[in-house]
Amino acid sequence: MATKGPHNEDPNDKALNKGRREFLKHSSLLTALAVAPPHLVKAAESALDEKAAVYFEQVPLSLEVNGVHHKLSVEPRVTLLDLLREQLALPGTKKGCDHGQCGACTVHVNGRRVLSCMSLAVMQEGKKVTTIEGLANGDQLHPMQEAFIKHDGFQCGYCTPGQIMSGIACIREGHANSDEEVREYMSGNICRCGAYPNIVKAIADVKKGGHKL
Amino acid sequence: MKNIDAYTHVRGESIYLDDIPLIQGSLFGASFGSPVAHGVITNLDLRDAITHPGVVRIFTHKDIPGENQIGGIVPDEPLLAGHEVHFCGMPVAFVVADSMEAARAAVKKIKLTIDPLPVITDPREAQAQGELIIPPRTFQLGDTASSWSQCAHIFEGRADTNGQEHLYIETQGAYAVPQEHNAIKVYSSTQGPTAVQRAVSRVLGLPMHLVEVEVNRLGGGFGGKEDQANTWAALCALAAHHLKKPVKYSLHRMEDMAMTGKRHPYSADFKIGLNEALKIIAYEVTFYQNAGAAADLSPAVLERTLFHCTNSYYIPNVKATAYSCRTHLPPNTAFRGFGGPQGMFMIESAIAKAAEELGINAAIIQEKNLLQTGDEFPYGQKAQSEAPECWHKAKTLYDLDAMLQQVQAFNATNTLYKKGLACMPICFGISFTKTLMNQARSLVHVYMDGSVGITTGAVEMGQGVNTKIAQVAAQVFSIQPEKIKIHTTNTFKIANTSPSAASATADLNGKATMLACTAIADRLKKMAAEELGVDVRLVALQNEYVYVNGQRTDRDWKSLVMAGHIKRIGLSEHAHYATPEIYFDATKEKGHPFAYHVYGTAFVSITVDCIRGIYTVDAVKVVHDFGASMNIAVDMGQLEGGIVQGIGWMTMEEVVYDTNGKLRSNALSTYKVPDIYAVPKEIAVEFLQTPHENLAIFRSKAVGEPPLMYGIGAYFALRNAIRAYNENGHFPFAAPMTPERVLMALYPTQKKGITESHEETINHLAVDK
Ligand code: FES
Ligand code: FES
Repeated sequence: MATKGPHNEDPNDKALNKGRREFLKHSSLLTALAVAPPHLVKAAESALDEKAAVYFEQVPLSLEVNGVHHKLSVEPRVTLLDLLREQLALPGTKKGCDHGQCGACTVHVNGRRVLSCMSLAVMQEGKKVTTIEGLANGDQLHPMQEAFIKHDGFQCGYCTPGQIMSGIACIREGHANSDEEVREYMSGNICRCGAYPNIVKAIADVKKGGHKL
Repeated sequence: MKNIDAYTHVRGESIYLDDIPLIQGSLFGASFGSPVAHGVITNLDLRDAITHPGVVRIFTHKDIPGENQIGGIVPDEPLLAGHEVHFCGMPVAFVVADSMEAARAAVKKIKLTIDPLPVITDPREAQAQGELIIPPRTFQLGDTASSWSQCAHIFEGRADTNGQEHLYIETQGAYAVPQEHNAIKVYSSTQGPTAVQRAVSRVLGLPMHLVEVEVNRLGGGFGGKEDQANTWAALCALAAHHLKKPVKYSLHRMEDMAMTGKRHPYSADFKIGLNEALKIIAYEVTFYQNAGAAADLSPAVLERTLFHCTNSYYIPNVKATAYSCRTHLPPNTAFRGFGGPQGMFMIESAIAKAAEELGINAAIIQEKNLLQTGDEFPYGQKAQSEAPECWHKAKTLYDLDAMLQQVQAFNATNTLYKKGLACMPICFGISFTKTLMNQARSLVHVYMDGSVGITTGAVEMGQGVNTKIAQVAAQVFSIQPEKIKIHTTNTFKIANTSPSAASATADLNGKATMLACTAIADRLKKMAAEELGVDVRLVALQNEYVYVNGQRTDRDWKSLVMAGHIKRIGLSEHAHYATPEIYFDATKEKGHPFAYHVYGTAFVSITVDCIRGIYTVDAVKVVHDFGASMNIAVDMGQLEGGIVQGIGWMTMEEVVYDTNGKLRSNALSTYKVPDIYAVPKEIAVEFLQTPHENLAIFRSKAVGEPPLMYGIGAYFALRNAIRAYNENGHFPFAAPMTPERVLMALYPTQKKGITESHEETINHLAVDK
């Protein structure tokens, strides 16, 4: 029995691809964008998104990150996480799974927590994004950052930015009224080092402090 | 002292591999892993992949200028498969492109034709076919054969433990940057910079002094980045070497899970004999270790299973044999505990089996057989035992009798919820079992402004080792920790390092740092004594001042250092430490391999929901032998984290391969790691500060691995709870006890066979046949 590679390509793909490529080559970027949605969908369906992306390269995007306005061009398929880490040089937000399963990439969009690996950058048009780098005011730490230090809410530190962003949101949402509740609303953030007890303590402490977050 | 990385951690400023700013022109790699577990490669078609936009080059085994070999202990692991593949995910080709997306997309276009060969996933089957990584090893004490006649009770059985995915939240990765003079610098997320250096040097055919490996910190390692980091580093180095461009590869979570080995699954047969007084007279055990397709660290892991096969008990007659079995799974590797937990699970199963058959609580047998000081381990070392101390302290402190009564009372009044309690004593040897690895070096520079820079072979991965090393320097110099900076781990600064593993990193590197700092401090004190015209024995460094005979002088640390520089005193030191007293003779399987042992006792209680099979760990109450903890916050974190990881291994974490050797639990959605709910509702810890001299740094005993083994108690607590619901519940000694398995054990009467996995599942899955 012979085994094929993971992707079995339909020979039709090739012809289709060629046609689309020719078409794209001859259309200006603007025209291409105007017709983008149906074609993009089709392209994706025929596993051509890689190639299509080459031609649909950039979409304008303006957003605010940590109080700074950015006017950018991004590929439509780029996630908010990759935008932050790779284009905006903000590597504090971590990638643990890229599948919405670990919480390491949690940021705030318009004040609400969002898994940045699960949201496209282009969806953030006109929005305000806050990352771990945007919490402190110079040397003045955010109360949640202080609390994580006080309670040793980390070991390796890799999940920490996500835990802190989630922790703040958890209190803002009004979901930190008991340890039980904190556990429930923090259950999407995995810490393989098992710093959980101290993470709960840190959040409870900030909640008790009654800070405006 | 607080974790020295606390401030940067909470600000998102700590730099991990994937955060290193890229050099212009950097390229990105992705590896193509074999889709088949075992077979002969008949064709590798790269044509479509190479024409994918952005692809620069695709590397195969033919491009390797040195040796196609990364096996550390046994040379049996090619970097890139040439003729044959031995496991699903085995790297066959390495695509390099101008973007990560392009590299990954091109990987999907590689076509591999393979003539499949038979796949073995079960270690017993491998052993039966003679597929062994190394010849079997046997540890022996007394004579079991002639002892059975003295036993009033003899029980036999089988026990199995599954693997465990490391799931460090930072995946594996490397970034290789070509340097002048044909040298190469590799940033690697590794616990073993020297292992990476050796692998790269071997693959590229370069001497080690041209290979610089640098590690800043890891986002978790747990053993998974000990030898398994070599592959990615060597692949990046190979590409960078040819292309003369920096090449980075940071694995996607699913690549990481599919391509890397895990904790070794074990299967074992045991036979235990006790006398009337419930003293264990004899214990025989045969271990079948599922090593996977290549040796990796399996022989060393196997050894530690044997070292810990009697856990915390003295047994006068022991015969333990272990087979390291070659299967077609990714090479299994180090994982916190390193084979020890598997050895302990088997003896605890044997004791539980005896207790269940005799209708008594296992704690009675456990308590009667605890190691005493002077007792001999099966490998010849004599115990300096804290086992009885920990046990009895726990028993009185947490009132074991009352705990047992509460469980009984609860179970008497509740029908659909049952509680179980188990005692879990531990004994874990500290040192690399390979004596030569028990050495370390530290490079300490005192700068003329009084600040101190330290480089050691230790890799910080969350265990707080750098914090402890800074504490050592702060204490010897008696200066503020802010004056001390621990630098990255780098093979050009510290050579021939042992990996950060075996819980011994803080001891080895801490002691080397202590030696280096002491040498510099002694020179400075001598100078101060001459300057002040006093006997050097009266001079001390204290709170950043020179003290003479207990009196503070005007000489502060900063001016002392500057004076030393002016007087041309050496303000730098490179010190070497080798653990004394240890040795091991593998031909006799006897010796004194451990600097010391760590002891402890935990009581684990669990409540099972007998309708749903789900459970909660109510409490883990521990008395742990810390020696004299030098950093309670760090040690507490290690203890809590270890317990949670141990509970995970025993309960919810289920590695599933199908019979074709393909990983089915290949993402966080199909592999359950402990979340915040998995943490016991209560973790009580009593720091047993033991007075005896030991070889630990500042007598603060190693704490990385031992607490994981308290988690084993969770399995036995579950077992007890299930038996409280269904006395006749006979179910195998097999972990993990997932809620599904609990449910099957709760209702074994439905039909014969329900305690075993569903038939269809058996056909498809390699586990638990
Ligand atoms: S990286 Fe987004 S949830 Fe894991
Ligand atoms: S601190 Fe390591 S994963 Fe949470």
